[in-house]
Amino acid sequence: MIQGSISNRIRVLRFHSGEMSQAELGQRIGVTRQTIAAIEAGKYSPSLEAAFRIAHAFNLPLDQVFQWERQKAAK
Amino acid sequence: MPYREKIAWLSLLAMAVTFGPYFTMTATRAVPAEPMPNLHQLGLFAATAIAQMLILGIGHLYLRRSTQDARMPLDERDQAIMRRSVSYAYYVLIAGMILVGCVMPFNSSGWSIVNAALFMIIAAEVVHYGVVVFSYRRQA
Repeated sequence: MIQGSISNRIRVLRFHSGEMSQAELGQRIGVTRQTIAAIEAGKYSPSLEAAFRIAHAFNLPLDQVFQWERQKAAK
Repeated sequence: MPYREKIAWLSLLAMAVTFGPYFTMTATRAVPAEPMPNLHQLGLFAATAIAQMLILGIGHLYLRRSTQDARMPLDERDQAIMRRSVSYAYYVLIAGMILVGCVMPFNSSGWSIVNAALFMIIAAEVVHYGVVVFSYRRQA
């Protein structure tokens, strides 16, 4: 299986959106502040629908909010 | 701390202060020789169950009034945590019921089996709420 990890730019995007709070973003996409904190920290991967909603909240395409980086296979 | 983590802590606390003493007393005290030997054990169980209901009832009321996100519906991460915790607890419960229902009848009877079944139900609940707390703590 191809191994990889998901990263995101939510913290930076919130900053550029007038210091939008985690609670405010959570309210806009229908999740709790704690869930936004967990997504930002990379501890929880959101569903595809929630990811699209987050991207929509910033008026950006999905791949400008979330990135998937392939891990190099160990030799 | 999220509302649902507080509820999980409350449930763990309620079980510790009610069923902890119940199982300790059951394991250490001999059943008194009375005309109705079940009455003692039933009384102890009733007192334990009522105490737990009171703690949970008062705790839920207090947390519901004092926590901001109490009225928010479960979001997808809450649901994922619930699914994970219930699936772990299910394995504990099934293993316990196999032990109580299939193994214990060969060498035990009466209240031993009842209390063992009760213990396994409480153990499953502890695992359930323990996984909830652990998941919220590590933000998973």
